[in-house]
Amino acid sequence: MQQVGLLAVILLLSLVLVRFSGTHVDRETGQTVSNFFNPGSLVQILTETSFFAIMAVGMTLVIVSGGIDLSIGSVYALAGVGMALTMRAAGWDSPWAALALCIGFGLLAGVLNGTMVATLGVHPFIVTLGTMWVFRGVAFVVSKAESVLVPGPVTDFAKNPLFLGKGLTPVPAIVMGLFILGGALYLNRTTMGRRVLAVGGNADAARYAGLPIPYILAGVYVIAGLGAGIAAFLGAAYFGSASSADANGYELYVIASAVVGGVSLNGGRGTVTGAFLGALLIVLIRTGIRLLRLDQNYEWIIIGAAIIIAVVLDRLGARLLEKRMVNG
Amino acid sequence: MVGLSKRFPGVQALSDISVDFLPGEIHAICGENGAGKSTLGKVLAGLYSPEQGHVALDDKPVRFSSPREAQAAGISIVHQELLFAENLTVADNLLLGEIPNQFGWVSDRQMHETALRWLQKVGSDIDPSMEVSKLSVSKQQLVQIAGGIGRGAKVLIFDEPTSSLTATEATALLGLIRELAARGTTCLYVSHRLDEIFAIADRVTVLRDGAWVGTKPIAEVTPSSLVQMMVGRELLASSEGGGAFGAPVLEVRGLSSVGRFGDISLTVRAGEIVGLAGLVGAGRTEVCEAIFGVDRRATGSVSVAGKSLALGSPQRSIAAGVALVPEDRKRHGLVLGMTIRHNGSMAVLPRLSTLGWLNRTAESRTVREFTDRLRVKAPSIESVVGGLSGGNQQKVVLAKWLATDAAVLLIDEPTRGVDVGAKVEIHGLIREAAASGKAVLLVSSDMPELRALCDRVIVLREGVQVAELGRAASETEILSAMAGV
Repeated sequence: MQQVGLLAVILLLSLVLVRFSGTHVDRETGQTVSNFFNPGSLVQILTETSFFAIMAVGMTLVIVSGGIDLSIGSVYALAGVGMALTMRAAGWDSPWAALALCIGFGLLAGVLNGTMVATLGVHPFIVTLGTMWVFRGVAFVVSKAESVLVPGPVTDFAKNPLFLGKGLTPVPAIVMGLFILGGALYLNRTTMGRRVLAVGGNADAARYAGLPIPYILAGVYVIAGLGAGIAAFLGAAYFGSASSADANGYELYVIASAVVGGVSLNGGRGTVTGAFLGALLIVLIRTGIRLLRLDQNYEWIIIGAAIIIAVVLDRLGARLLEKRMVNG
Repeated sequence: MVGLSKRFPGVQALSDISVDFLPGEIHAICGENGAGKSTLGKVLAGLYSPEQGHVALDDKPVRFSSPREAQAAGISIVHQELLFAENLTVADNLLLGEIPNQFGWVSDRQMHETALRWLQKVGSDIDPSMEVSKLSVSKQQLVQIAGGIGRGAKVLIFDEPTSSLTATEATALLGLIRELAARGTTCLYVSHRLDEIFAIADRVTVLRDGAWVGTKPIAEVTPSSLVQMMVGRELLASSEGGGAFGAPVLEVRGLSSVGRFGDISLTVRAGEIVGLAGLVGAGRTEVCEAIFGVDRRATGSVSVAGKSLALGSPQRSIAAGVALVPEDRKRHGLVLGMTIRHNGSMAVLPRLSTLGWLNRTAESRTVREFTDRLRVKAPSIESVVGGLSGGNQQKVVLAKWLATDAAVLLIDEPTRGVDVGAKVEIHGLIREAAASGKAVLLVSSDMPELRALCDRVIVLREGVQVAELGRAASETEILSAMAGV
């Protein structure tokens, strides 16, 4: 139900943008087109969304399991910088090598987070608050705080127009689509996904049902690391460079995406598609502010308010569910 | 106290109870689990308000809408579960609600002195500036008593006060209660421990199923007549015994867990239902949890169908063919926010999947098979279990474990909070499971349930195995063994 509401809000906002964002004349075709509803802008919005949404998939799994991953933005920075430095040192320029490196670094960070959460008995908030600084610090030190360029072929890969026209870059959006699909199938159709939901819903009952709790918990952080690695590959490739300051503060955008998408911070409830819609809404709001020529300084205020409203709706939903349980 | 009644949704917890309590007497209130004795104490202490009847204190009718009002009038309760702000000091807790202050500034000195004076009245040397969480349970209890006495309590209600004390601590507490009574305080002693009742009570009131059975001077009753009053109902003839059991399936030897229970040995054969009886806190649930592997400190040997089982991991126990239907279904048995399908398949996910990919058709088929067999009443298996009645929730937990096809079923309080109809059905299911060759270990506080279902009953008292009774054992025999008289 919540996703229907979210979808309605996104469509409404899109209609507003179509109507009020104004028009410009396309230089090549000479036609008058909407500032919002044109292929370039739409692909741009999806590209921007992809960096958040891919990470939001992993974050959704983490939050559904009852945890949180504050280090996700730092994993992004570490994976990007690690990839760019390794590529330069080894003299590689294959995009596949870059992708493998990013995924490798992301998984490594995820395994580290996951192992600590599963074995130390410290709240994930603390563990990942720590690794948030550690990972970014490592990226800072190894890159000597400099931006590292990514080989040209890697950028070409991420900006490949494929079957679309010149100047359009659908690759990040396509990767996002695949990752969301994979995440949704994982959560809903595999035994591990089901176990994640069960542990987040009632860890005691999951233990009494004989579920392997440490593996389940570690698993979601590994997937979050995988997502951050893939996002880092796309980001570094797309922008042509990686730096330890990349994705600074993204963890909060990512958590916000998941929460706006209806993921319950208490665990046990949430969907991957919801998190994608949450990310899309946040990007749309940011784009909208630009297109409607609103004062950019209001961006944070508007996004902040949107998050609180979404969480209040989430609470109301939970209370209704509770009422239904009592009456039923 | 005249004609007191208290209803909870669906349960008449107390009905039409009238008793007089005299100044300076120690008045025991006893009954089986669920007889309403704790509820009575809570009504008197203002924690619950009665629907009918009234309470009079010194011949004046009183009506309390909160424990504070009751305390102000002179009635205090010492709880089964101690209620404290644990991170605060003893003095803070004693004077919480009426903190001595000057214009909002807390007067620490005055607080300390008042607390000290109150504690001295109960003969305790606890330092009022200690954090409550650092005190032992018995010391915390003393703080509660001091709070009551300090406020000038005329009536003190002790609700199962010795349930978490050691023997020495319990003796000291009984001594203090005697002393308080000698000084004129009326002490109500809610307990089902017969030895304690006979040790200190002047008179005893027996409740059964929320109704008053009798009030007698202690000299006029014997332990067995008291048990008779508590049990009351015509002692049911036990159901016809099968007698033809298979080979031993569950064998437990010298099972111990420090601080919980010690040296438990039992055998359950295929097709047999063995009951585990005991008072609350006797260690019954703990024994099941140890066999199932959720208690990691347990030691001893457990074997299932002749194969020895390494303790400490529910996964291993499940793989060996052990299932536990836990006592607290909401905490341990179910994920309330999930559907019947999700809950029902939780313990058998590997069997329903290929390489981690869940086969939803097989899942639905399995869950439906068991929920149909157990006659779970719900719109569909996609219903959220939190919305089901207690009986249906219990059936979902049973379905979840029957689906594992375990050889050993550990079933803990299967009919607590379940309505009568569902109870009969659940009993039928347990019998059916045994008849199909499973070994069942059944924990229950419900005497008729134990007698109706069990082929043998093993009695635990304070973590020790004290008796093993056959099918012919009467309720009186079981209760006597439980209480140790």
